[in-house]
Amino acid sequence: MARITRRGVLAAAAALGGGRAGGAAAQEQQLLPHERELHEAARREGELTWYTGQMQAEPSEAIGRAFTERFPGVKVNVVRSTSQVAFQRLSQDARAGVAQCDVFSSVDQSHLTLLKRQERLAQYRPLNASGLIPAVREAGDPDGYFQVSYLAIYLIGRHRRVTEAEAPRSWRDLLDPRWRGQIAVGHPGFSGAIGSLCVALRKLYGWDYFRQLERNRPHIGRSAGDPVTLLNAGERTIGMGVPSPTTLLSIARGNPLALVYPADGTLMVPAPSGALRNAPHPNAARLFLEFIASPAYSRATRPFFAESLRPEVPPPDGARPLDQVPLLMPTAEEVERGIPEVKELWRDTFGV
Amino acid sequence: MTPSASDGAAMSGDTVTVLPRPAAASRAGGLLDRLRNIEPVSLLWAALAAALLFLVAAPLVKLFVASFETQGTGAFTLSNYATAYGRQRYLDALVNSLTLGLLSAAISVVLAVPMAWAVSRTDMPGKGLTWAAVLGAFVVPPYLAAIGWILLAGPNSGFVNQAWRWLTGAEGALVNVYSFTGLALVIALNSFPLVFILVKAALDLISSEMEDAANIIGAGPWTTMWKVTLPLAWPAVLAGFILVFLETIALFGTPAIIGIPARINVVTTQLWQFFEYPVRVEVAAAYAMPLLLVTVGLIAVQKLLLGRKGFVSQTGKGGERRMVRLGPFRWVLFGWCAGVGALAVVMPVLVLIQASFAKAWGRGLALDNLTLRNYALLLFEHEMALTSVWNTIWFSAAAATIAGAIALLVAYLVNRRLVPFGEVLGFLCMAPFVIPGIVMAIGFYAAYASPPLALYGTATLLILAFTARFLPIAYANSQAAVRAVHPEMEEAARILGAGRLQSIARVTAPLLKKSLLGGWLIVFILASRELSAAVFLVGPRTRTMSVLLYDLSEAGNFEVLAAFGGILLAITLVLVAVGMKLAGRDFMLRRE
Repeated sequence: MARITRRGVLAAAAALGGGRAGGAAAQEQQLLPHERELHEAARREGELTWYTGQMQAEPSEAIGRAFTERFPGVKVNVVRSTSQVAFQRLSQDARAGVAQCDVFSSVDQSHLTLLKRQERLAQYRPLNASGLIPAVREAGDPDGYFQVSYLAIYLIGRHRRVTEAEAPRSWRDLLDPRWRGQIAVGHPGFSGAIGSLCVALRKLYGWDYFRQLERNRPHIGRSAGDPVTLLNAGERTIGMGVPSPTTLLSIARGNPLALVYPADGTLMVPAPSGALRNAPHPNAARLFLEFIASPAYSRATRPFFAESLRPEVPPPDGARPLDQVPLLMPTAEEVERGIPEVKELWRDTFGV
Repeated sequence: MTPSASDGAAMSGDTVTVLPRPAAASRAGGLLDRLRNIEPVSLLWAALAAALLFLVAAPLVKLFVASFETQGTGAFTLSNYATAYGRQRYLDALVNSLTLGLLSAAISVVLAVPMAWAVSRTDMPGKGLTWAAVLGAFVVPPYLAAIGWILLAGPNSGFVNQAWRWLTGAEGALVNVYSFTGLALVIALNSFPLVFILVKAALDLISSEMEDAANIIGAGPWTTMWKVTLPLAWPAVLAGFILVFLETIALFGTPAIIGIPARINVVTTQLWQFFEYPVRVEVAAAYAMPLLLVTVGLIAVQKLLLGRKGFVSQTGKGGERRMVRLGPFRWVLFGWCAGVGALAVVMPVLVLIQASFAKAWGRGLALDNLTLRNYALLLFEHEMALTSVWNTIWFSAAAATIAGAIALLVAYLVNRRLVPFGEVLGFLCMAPFVIPGIVMAIGFYAAYASPPLALYGTATLLILAFTARFLPIAYANSQAAVRAVHPEMEEAARILGAGRLQSIARVTAPLLKKSLLGGWLIVFILASRELSAAVFLVGPRTRTMSVLLYDLSEAGNFEVLAAFGGILLAITLVLVAVGMKLAGRDFMLRRE
């Protein structure tokens, strides 16, 4: 797992690295026949509710707006939280027997595999998915219950106060006592990404890695994006497991940050989305899945530095092509088994 | 919002229509014909009893029952308790909560008692400013104050620590908000008004004669204060202490925002964890029980300690009250009040305002750091932000109205002794006082989220929960107000042919409108910042500002948070101003 060599990923990386010129935007504005049909039905439903733990609040809202722009008359209620909290809300809904969520998106892949097993997802393979980068398409559910909506990249961020020369080069380097009181990190009980990171690093170095990390007294927040704010403010200098898009956006806004691609692997999670079987707005939910697979979505997330899912939309500025960096990519099974374990271990090791 | 005679009528009408349908139907439905000849007051009693059973008793009973149920089957089990107390970490959280409550309450007393004494009994200058500080601390929601203090006292980037390093050249931090004492202090700076209000009210009643007596036998002003004045206010100090303690152990936002980085797990954050997948309501219920026992126990202790009456001369304000002359010490005392005001209100609010206009708050006040983005994002780009503002306003208004109506009617029935067992209603109204908000929310979730009522995610559920949560405040307010109106005025109306309800609507309510409006606004403001109950009950379309703030706080995006907090504060301030205009300058801090 450490250095993923699966063909699919390399293909993804190659495609992502390649970068294509964007297609004719004007042409895209026209809806395809199947989109038009769904749009008609979705318009009658008027809205959809999207629980998401993938991108941060600001880009998530932008995605909702872009959807409504493309499909007028269908509003998106964006409920953005960390992945675990989003799943907690979905579980609370289920426990209460109330259906409120139409589309569910998480960085913790096991949420979707679990929902599929519990037969709570609607089977829908978007027609637009045929135009996705092959690896993205293939990382979706073979039975069509969920698809990848976000190639989530997590790495190390540094404040420029720490020069490139002295900066840590790997996850391993973060254990150096030099970084005592300098590191900030999210929480696996909230962030699906940090959960996956814990699973991946435990596999690489054993749980002892985290016991040693605790000696450096990391600042523990909740979301994986939390350290970016702390770095901006100068509260801490090293962000562990920060999302690439959030950090790049922050850099673009003039904050003194830089990214470090860890030598022992950048974490990549093909984060999935699925429509709920009991979705109160089933057509809008399907239309949203079509939207996610369409170039319009990749174009809407590009200003927020998300990796493109479509060959016709170029990868974000400032990010390294993924075929040039080693990747950590835990499987859905590893994550499903691992996250509940690492959450407990984390709480025992760090006290919260 | 202007209460008038007709509003009063509408209020009492509301109570009946707002009743849960099943409860109302079973009690009144088929019997209606036969009951037509009975005095409406009895029907009212039944309706109120049903409402209170629904709002207060049922969720608690359900919570208690659930704590012994097996998930899914509902079979009797003790395993929830075994799970809830089976781990050291969970027990640690209990101990942390109790310690935190004690520490915050103690700090609040230390902060507030000198201020209350100074304002009530001395010639200290700047009393208006002190009032403003207390009011300000009361109005700022706890989680906003917490964020303000993160900006001030973050060990590296906090402004206080930056200033400290700049002044002294020191390397380390002066204060660290991410610590147990930091957490306790932030909570205390936000809760001390509770102690202040109670202690000042008590001190206001003590006449100077007792102090004079002490002076005559040779005690100076300080000895008198320590030996005479403060002991007389002891019940109020104790009540304030308990109030802050209860507030603290039930607080969710501040421990989530400060406690996680500080590595402090408390009961409320642990309860939240039991709601992670798979949702373990039953374990949460079992885990919540000691919180209930502790609060009930505390109230019992208070009763026991204060069992012997006669702390305060109950002669009202008959005695002469002169201000103690402090000489130069009055400036010391003023310094104390100003210092508390600065720490509790001025500094956190200023940094929040700074952050709300900043690109990155840590870069401080610089021209290239100024932006309106944070406000623009919330006002124009964030679909939920404005909806949540609206949700907050109307949920809070509805809850304040329902709570006010129920409280007024119950207070009236109890005070005028119109029905047998009226005290039962009064007791039910006051019961939520000892139920931490988060526990009540779990009770509401257990009782009403699922079918048959299936209220989860609806506005109704939030409004009912807010109503129940703040019923005691509305009731205490109504009780005091009703007591102040002599029955003879209603009797006059009744002699002239008005019915009971009509005389309440036309005579009593108008007489009470000022204090009722004050009570309404207090409930409204408290409900508008309520987080710990809301966070378990909101649905995607019923999110309130506090919950949205909490969601935004996950990513630590303090600039946007601060802007949102700014909007919330602006709304609150407008309401406080309205309240002061309509209900008197001290409406929020008055205590009859």
